[in-house]
Amino acid sequence: MASAATEPAEAFKPYKLKHNLSGHKRAISSVKFSDDGRLLASASADKTACTWSPSDGSLLQEYQGHDQGISDLAFSSDARYLATASDDKTVRLWDVATGSLVKTLSGHTNYVFCVNFNPQSNMLVSGSFDETVRAWDVKSGKCLKVLPAHSDPVTAVHFNRDGTLIVSSSYDGLCRIWDASTGHCMKTLIDDENPPVSFVRFSPNGKFILVGTLDNTFRLWNFSTGKYLKTYTGHVNSKYCISATFSVTNGKYIVSGSEDNSIYLWELQSRKIVQKLEGHTDTVVSVSCHPTENMIASGALGEDKTVKIWTQED
Amino acid sequence: MMNAPIIDPLQGDFPEVIEEFLEHGVMKCIAFNRRGTLLAAGCADGNCVIWDFETRGIAKELRDDDCLAAITSICWSKYGHRILASAADKSLTLWDVVKGEKIGRTTLQQTPLQARLHPGSSTPLICLVCPVSSAPMIVDLRSGSTTVLPVSLPDTGNGLAPPSRNKFSDGSAPFTPTAACFNKYGDLVYVGNSKGEILIIDHSKIQVCGVVQVPGASVIKNMVFSRSGQYLLTNSNDRTIRIYENLLPLKDGLKALDESNSGLDELDGVEKVKTIGSTCLSLFREFQDSITRVHWKAPCFSGDGEWVIGGSASKGEHKIYIWDRAGHLVKILEGPKEALMDLAWHPVHPIVVSVSLAGLVYIWAKDYTENWSAFAPDFKELEENEEYIEREDEFDLMPDTEKVKESDVNEDDEVDIMTVEKDSAFSDSDVSEEEICFLPADPTPDAPEQQDKCVGSTSKLADSAQSGSPLSDEAGQNGHAVNQSSSPLEGMDNSAAEDTGGTRLKRRRRPSDKVMELQVEKVKKSSQRMKPSDDLP
Repeated sequence: MASAATEPAEAFKPYKLKHNLSGHKRAISSVKFSDDGRLLASASADKTACTWSPSDGSLLQEYQGHDQGISDLAFSSDARYLATASDDKTVRLWDVATGSLVKTLSGHTNYVFCVNFNPQSNMLVSGSFDETVRAWDVKSGKCLKVLPAHSDPVTAVHFNRDGTLIVSSSYDGLCRIWDASTGHCMKTLIDDENPPVSFVRFSPNGKFILVGTLDNTFRLWNFSTGKYLKTYTGHVNSKYCISATFSVTNGKYIVSGSEDNSIYLWELQSRKIVQKLEGHTDTVVSVSCHPTENMIASGALGEDKTVKIWTQED
Repeated sequence: MMNAPIIDPLQGDFPEVIEEFLEHGVMKCIAFNRRGTLLAAGCADGNCVIWDFETRGIAKELRDDDCLAAITSICWSKYGHRILASAADKSLTLWDVVKGEKIGRTTLQQTPLQARLHPGSSTPLICLVCPVSSAPMIVDLRSGSTTVLPVSLPDTGNGLAPPSRNKFSDGSAPFTPTAACFNKYGDLVYVGNSKGEILIIDHSKIQVCGVVQVPGASVIKNMVFSRSGQYLLTNSNDRTIRIYENLLPLKDGLKALDESNSGLDELDGVEKVKTIGSTCLSLFREFQDSITRVHWKAPCFSGDGEWVIGGSASKGEHKIYIWDRAGHLVKILEGPKEALMDLAWHPVHPIVVSVSLAGLVYIWAKDYTENWSAFAPDFKELEENEEYIEREDEFDLMPDTEKVKESDVNEDDEVDIMTVEKDSAFSDSDVSEEEICFLPADPTPDAPEQQDKCVGSTSKLADSAQSGSPLSDEAGQNGHAVNQSSSPLEGMDNSAAEDTGGTRLKRRRRPSDKVMELQVEKVKKSSQRMKPSDDLP
């Protein structure tokens, strides 16, 4: 769908709460839809991960085995495997259908904070409090590369759409772009002020990166030119690593959580806030958009402990 | 390519050092898939293996219980669905790549030295085979029937050669291997014969359409087109590699030839094909090493056709010569002292892969030193010292004119986050065809007792148990890659040392051959100490 020159005057259809998924015993750290949209996964400080059905909100599977809380998770492209990143310094690979632990990837020397598969799903990338980014071979579990990525904990890692680049962000205030095949640093993005960067991800076409910083700001950068193109504010984000994502199924939006317990939706081009989703009772730390349907999933911290699914249906 | 805008242009486009080597039994021949994401290798025991070139691990094994003889050549179909392997037991085996299963097997009368699938379709029905001592032939993969191609001009007539099963059509005894290759879309076959003639053949009619005489009239040993189809390389017995420009249109070469043919009725057979030949190929360059007078082996083009490489055919040395297309020798890569068996340039990256007599596959890549300005963008890399001239007011305090952050960005401008640009390197992709770029990676389950240990090693469920090498278990189970400098951090340590500053463009002096050999030896012996969980010091 080509993006219109100006967003049409048709009214934005608000999202409403559809399902409330409770079950986790401690704060949620991450929620993600699978690429085919059939599954929703959640990770928690209670050391477990779960998969849920997005259509009826039923619990499908639980993944137990980590010794400490989980900070992030990711689906492989075919949704057969789930990777989780934990404070127990390991990344673990789970069989989605059976819930069994397939592999444990060890090597990080501190909490593993973020994880993602490449689109081919033959490689995994993880970021840690040990300030490194590691690339792993999914098949053998071998660590392929250790990137001396940052000088503070690494808060997010993401592959671009063809798996050739990795972007990483850190509390050291920097975002770095890496060549995925050689592990060499291609670019560092730095602004005059360098507040801790809490989140980063590539845009769907891999040309831009969405960067969240702990000064209550999201920015969309063109990393080739090193300049930012859009700024999104109005939410609260100065303590936690809150994730954000692009919503492209029905118009173009940026969606993120916030420390005022709401979910914010901004129009991509105009940067206006079009909706604040309320309902959580603690910081909304993670959001994910369904790949094909107009559906948002969110997860919140310890006072709340729920995963919520929001849709545009009446 | 997506990351083209931020890649450092100072890096040269050809490899310089051995980056890694792959081991899995004794490999004999190799072939990249179209995008260079997978590397197929044929082994001495008759099996084939597909490497995931990104992770340098084994993606799939093609185990063949019927074939116990060494694989002589291996070839991918255009979009990666099929692999054709020829073996020393005279067999040709066609594999379904995704399933990892044999589709069919044919036995020929002679050992095929080279077999190439028709390059124009994703599920080819024919292949071109060069047997060890008879004329090249087209083999129908469904029926197994063979059609011998002419290797010589007929004495008279209209250019049609009588099909001959047992000997060359010029009557000579069949003992010289003949080179042959398809053009880019497979409508024509180019055959190089023992008299140094290139015959351009319409293989559907078994008709010689044109002929070109290679200077020197020496036996042609190899023929290969560049990936774009614009250049043809011949490797002759007179120790010279020649590059020809393909003058025919890339897509409908045969049609253009037929049109030329019909316009030249007044010429007799031989004159006609020679005239047509001159409209097909024109000699562009010749390469040779006039000092060592070395014979060449496995010559080929780089992915973009800008470079030509050839291996030295001399025993006991593993030397790869790199020329630019203009004919200048730019580099000689020297590996450990084992003969070179096969050579391939990655379709996209400046990476070369060579196979040694011992069956190891060496990966040659650029000798990259970290681009420091990528880490701190306000730093600039200098080639030499520059005198810094202070401003008069450099250290003055000027509180009013403290740098005001002016955003020169108009945030109302449209940003397109969805459109993806076509990859120019693969502009000949037929988007309706699904291409196999990678094989699904299933994590090998950890053995139960290893779940708690701090080693991410592979299970004992061996897909391959063939490494007779001194290398460790954890590296050995799925075949492995041994890294010489696996992490950029290790690269950092090395780069601090020995910079002579001699050459201005290179950032680091290439280690001497002796050092490199010692490094490879060291890597082979010390790989037992390399664990994936090696942390930074």
